[in-house]
Amino acid sequence: MPKLIKLAGDTAEWAEDIFTHVGDDDALPEGDVILSLARFQAEGEILLSNSRRVGVRIEPDQEVEALAYDLPRLSVVALAFPKYRDGRAYTSARLLRERLGFTGEVRAVGDVLQEQAGFMVRCGFDAFEPADGATPEAWTKAAHRYRHVYQRAADNRPVAFEERAS
Amino acid sequence: MKAVTANRLIDGEVVFWKAGAWVEGFGDAQLFGEDQDAEVEAVVANGKAQPTVVVDVYPIDLAPVDGGLAPISYRERIRALGPTNEPTHGKQAVGGEVIEALRHAAGAARSTGRVDLIRRK
Amino acid sequence: MYLYDPIDREFLTDRSNEFRHQVARRLAGELTEDQFKPLRLMNGLYLQLHAYMLRIAIPYGSLNARQARRLAWIARTYDKGYGHFTTRQNIQFNWIKLKDAPDILDALAEVDLHAIQTSGNCIRNVTADPYAGATAEEIDDPRVWSEVLRQWSTLHPEFSFLPRKFKIAITGALADRAAVKVHDIGLILRKGRDGQIGFEVIVGGGQGRTPYVGPTIRSYLPAEHLLSYVEAILRVYNRHGRRDNIYKARIKILVAALGAEEFARQVEEEWGKIDAARANLPAGELARVRAAFAQTNFETLPAVSDAFEAARAASPALQRFVRNNVKAHKQPGYAIVEVSLKAIGQTPGDATAEQLEVVADLAERYSLDDLRVTHAQNLVLPHVKLDDLPAVHAALEAAGLATANIDLASDIIACPGLDYCALANARAIPIAQDIARKFADPDRAETVGELKIKISGCINACGHHHVAHIGILGVDKKGEEFYQLSLGGSGAEDASIGRILGPGLSADKVAPAIDALVDAYLNIRTGDERFLDTYRRVGLEPFKEAVYAQAD
Repeated sequence: MPKLIKLAGDTAEWAEDIFTHVGDDDALPEGDVILSLARFQAEGEILLSNSRRVGVRIEPDQEVEALAYDLPRLSVVALAFPKYRDGRAYTSARLLRERLGFTGEVRAVGDVLQEQAGFMVRCGFDAFEPADGATPEAWTKAAHRYRHVYQRAADNRPVAFEERAS
Repeated sequence: MKAVTANRLIDGEVVFWKAGAWVEGFGDAQLFGEDQDAEVEAVVANGKAQPTVVVDVYPIDLAPVDGGLAPISYRERIRALGPTNEPTHGKQAVGGEVIEALRHAAGAARSTGRVDLIRRK
Repeated sequence: MYLYDPIDREFLTDRSNEFRHQVARRLAGELTEDQFKPLRLMNGLYLQLHAYMLRIAIPYGSLNARQARRLAWIARTYDKGYGHFTTRQNIQFNWIKLKDAPDILDALAEVDLHAIQTSGNCIRNVTADPYAGATAEEIDDPRVWSEVLRQWSTLHPEFSFLPRKFKIAITGALADRAAVKVHDIGLILRKGRDGQIGFEVIVGGGQGRTPYVGPTIRSYLPAEHLLSYVEAILRVYNRHGRRDNIYKARIKILVAALGAEEFARQVEEEWGKIDAARANLPAGELARVRAAFAQTNFETLPAVSDAFEAARAASPALQRFVRNNVKAHKQPGYAIVEVSLKAIGQTPGDATAEQLEVVADLAERYSLDDLRVTHAQNLVLPHVKLDDLPAVHAALEAAGLATANIDLASDIIACPGLDYCALANARAIPIAQDIARKFADPDRAETVGELKIKISGCINACGHHHVAHIGILGVDKKGEEFYQLSLGGSGAEDASIGRILGPGLSADKVAPAIDALVDAYLNIRTGDERFLDTYRRVGLEPFKEAVYAQAD
């Protein structure tokens, strides 16, 4: 079971993971679950109506727009990094936050390394299952290594040109 | 014949295996005969187990040339020498017989045909 | 020239601190080579054949004297006294040690230079016309927009793990000195019907193993929408570019697979969903950047300089230099001076620390502290007074930098090739040296006229061989270096991809083959046709015959 790091404001900390990742062929456990998009589309309606919290795992080749209708009822969208070099989940995260207005948890799963922390936080991820054993301290540090940013993203940090204008 | 080469992590220098250590000169490289594949494999495995010392460990094929032995592939000869456009830069700067033999080894590739460089380009 | 402010400077400090930390973790074994490699690449650090190579960005090819001197200092302190200018307005040092790299980044940051995103699958150094701000034919200054894109693309949180590298080039002039049609995105500044400024947007050009001249996906984009539109292009690419095959991962493959029209439709659709007010640069910031490039300190001078005319009349060498290396400036009494890094027999694009210092001094003294780097691996003093041309020429001559061969046969582009590069199949530099020697006689070179010869040591095409009048590609044939010739390419405004001439040649046959091609051209050219024009008129056959009839 991977350990979960969550953002609380500007600081990353350990968090208890109340969700179970459920494979497509796994028996459904009790409690809160994160499902694949396919399984969610098949069984999500029932699960949501029996008072569980439900998350959906989106693979890089799946479009988060598929969840647009269901987002208000979802607790978590887990975006998968099969390899950390696969950058599609960054787009998915920004779209969830900036275009689809998702306010629940956006979780990074898969090949998640602390070197990516800054990019992930800026794109709107707020929960992480690090694959490199990173601690919340290391994560916080990595996420805040840069005092300035040059472009708008999902985190609403003041951009260099805004700092200059103020 | 074979030798085992790598690049040193800290500075990128081309190095060769010699009896338990990595040395800079091609002329100092330990040579392995055709019947020593197991030893070569062991040296490569050993190198790969030293990720903070060397990177990209792999064996190279050698062939006799005038004045000694030279890597069969052009690429490996340049690694053992330095850039040909700057004849005083890199390993070739020391000069000597081994360097001269490498420099004049142009015929080797032609006579031996294509060689699997092992390392992907 | 844009000067970094405290924000830009703190950013560079944070960057080099981050890299120092990453290097320390790598040396301590906390990061594997697989994990570390992309991190060092995003700081321009490659492991090459003999050592690490550090590629430093020269955004839009612009340097001041202090920066050029710092590069010279780095060459002397951490390298073997020289650097290599690339085809994308970068400089590379060939003999770098990993342990020194963080110190070098610190030294660069002190003069507002960096190696950020000079490699890796991210948005690379944005390149531009080296004559920007100096040429009269310019619609708008491409440096303004390059700087805007430099900042926007720097550590872009969404676009730092693209399917593959991503290169943007901008020109503000009709003559294309930035090879914009063979870039992932090429931008040409255009004037709209309403007199406003905008961009023609070209996407999906490129070289490598599948060369394309990029199609125009939008003929006019109002300039203020640049960032939102580029964001839309990058987002479509990030989502849909192929990630299963490294050779098919560039945006050109996506554009070709979808067709330019469908690709453009997807971009426009995405663009329509982007909140333009948030994505575009605020007018105030654009004005700030623009002001940094507004050159206000030109002197009012007569268009003709008596001192220059007198010196020219007395010196055939200066005449030749002016004919080939001096270009018209927008300001009366000024000229653009090209400094060739292609002296006969030298390594194309290499400059020694001493040469860098000479050019830095000249830039400071005679060119408003402005020095440019061209994609053809030469340097430019963009703002030289005609009055000063004789002195500049003399100083260049003394430093071995006055070779009067810009765009002539000996002004050859060559990648580092197998002499340095871990990817190369064959050497490029010695081939360039051999060919240049064939044109060492400057009268002959001038008789031949414009002839762009470009050499790549492998199919990645860093030497731009696909867009050369005569392109040369090094290949590995049974362990031996072989060279494939192609004709008729151009990386300029009349961009085209060259066609392969015939079977590959061994190294010693290349320079004689070039000689044969040139002789054939001289025999069949009419009027003032360039080599490229003659080829386009007569096709491959006469040239094929010239090379292969002789080889048999």
